[in-house]
Amino acid sequence: MNIAIFFGTETGNAEMLAEDIATELEDQHETTVANLADSAPEALQVADLNVIVCSSYDDGDLPASAKPFVERVQSEMPDLTGVRFAIFGLGDSEYAETYGFGSMKLAELLVSRGAQALGERPVHDAAGDELPEDMAMPWLLEIIEAADA
Amino acid sequence: MSAKIAIVGGGPSGCYTAQALLKRAPDLEVDIIDALPVPYGLVRYGVAADHQGTKGVARQFARIFTRQNAQFFGNLRIGRDVTLEALRRAYDVVVLAAGLPGDRPLGIPGDDLPGVIGSGALTRALYEHPDAEALPELGEAPLVIGTGNVAVDILRLLAKTPEELSGSDLGAGPSDWLAAQKIRQITVVGRSSAAAARFSPVMIKELAELSRVDLRLAAGGSDAGEVLAAAVAGSAGPLPIDFRFESRPVALEPLGDGLQLTVETPRGRETIAASSVISAIGFTGDGSFDRDGLLAEAGGAARLYAAGWFRTGPVGAIPQCREEGQRLAQQILDEVQPDPARIGRALFAGRAGITDFDHWQHLDALELAGATDQRCRRKISRRDDMLRPANLQDA
Repeated sequence: MNIAIFFGTETGNAEMLAEDIATELEDQHETTVANLADSAPEALQVADLNVIVCSSYDDGDLPASAKPFVERVQSEMPDLTGVRFAIFGLGDSEYAETYGFGSMKLAELLVSRGAQALGERPVHDAAGDELPEDMAMPWLLEIIEAADA
Repeated sequence: MSAKIAIVGGGPSGCYTAQALLKRAPDLEVDIIDALPVPYGLVRYGVAADHQGTKGVARQFARIFTRQNAQFFGNLRIGRDVTLEALRRAYDVVVLAAGLPGDRPLGIPGDDLPGVIGSGALTRALYEHPDAEALPELGEAPLVIGTGNVAVDILRLLAKTPEELSGSDLGAGPSDWLAAQKIRQITVVGRSSAAAARFSPVMIKELAELSRVDLRLAAGGSDAGEVLAAAVAGSAGPLPIDFRFESRPVALEPLGDGLQLTVETPRGRETIAASSVISAIGFTGDGSFDRDGLLAEAGGAARLYAAGWFRTGPVGAIPQCREEGQRLAQQILDEVQPDPARIGRALFAGRAGITDFDHWQHLDALELAGATDQRCRRKISRRDDMLRPANLQDA
């Protein structure tokens, strides 16, 4: 099973985490990493396990590199039935009111087009002590295990 | 390609440019040079002490040195320790990313009176920059000129209770200083209308949520947007922060122990008394480079480029640094013509006092080891201690 990793980033932190995830998985799995800014809605494939890392920026907005992708989904209205995705958010609890809204908005959009969200949507807190990869890897390995079964 | 590239300034623009260069061409020799003994520039000394999440980009920047093989040359001031001309002879490309360290003066009569302090000078002192001046006395009624995000950072830090500073890296000295301030009211003066103010709405929301803050619209502001209006309606703490929009500063004069600001408003001239004045209207060069001349010369033919605030002026935050760094990296790679005769980093061989990235990692570990329940790190603030941290352990 190919694991297709996508990232939506504003300052590069989500890109770094996407690359770290790919590095962790590459011994066991086929992986690809792509910027959402360079991805068409069709890049989310039914055969793949799609993993999305997406930050949040400013007032709970989508990060810059996710915006063109989201605009395409909104205008093209693709049918994503059968597409499975797991999404991991990056947020900053200093901005509590809109914490993790970027990843939430993207997840809701994909589900509204028929895609299936796997697992919970964790949000890593940039203002906390834990490293994002330490939070993302156990979450993702569990999802991969369930998807393989 | 093994071109030699020197980046002057280890802040976000310099780091993102290096990151993008080495991602596209991993064999480049990229050297980041900084006048301070430590890297990251405004991420360390400009991003507010209580915005640790924003400082998270430093993890990316560390990898430029630990994985992408850039080298750090700290405590090396171009123009003093090594001339820019020598640097340009030694490297195929020089990128000027030295930022804008000076406070833009108000440019009105009285802007140099005692009691007037620039926002850069104040935040450098708050964030324990090694070259900072002492923290000033602000008195009971400080006045902030400017409505950008730096102004809001200052308002927030002045308004926070000690509990609200938990988790920050605000140092012991600045924390004691804040606790000792007896501020009863803060006035904020901006030239623009409320709708045109430069601050991000999210920063105003954050300010309004603080327990002591009572945001008020004292003048102008009839066009306040939803966010500002909600912040005014929803904050009711004991510390009034009065926004006065559409108020153009025209003169400062001494008044008793403090100052008086005259502003031009649509209603005519008005005066505002203040115990101190913090000018937060942007930044400028500090004269260490002939910025205009260098910007005019910059380009592929001169093998000289500029990035970040040094190039654009004091606009744009971290995301713009990244975007611009990626664009600049591509331009450099399109134009560079490596000359193996250029000596690159050998220019610094044998020079005493330069700090490298290992040195920073050692300081970083020491600072993190000084963390407490209330503070996520204890910054080393004196240049001597930064250069000789062994002395710290003896102390």
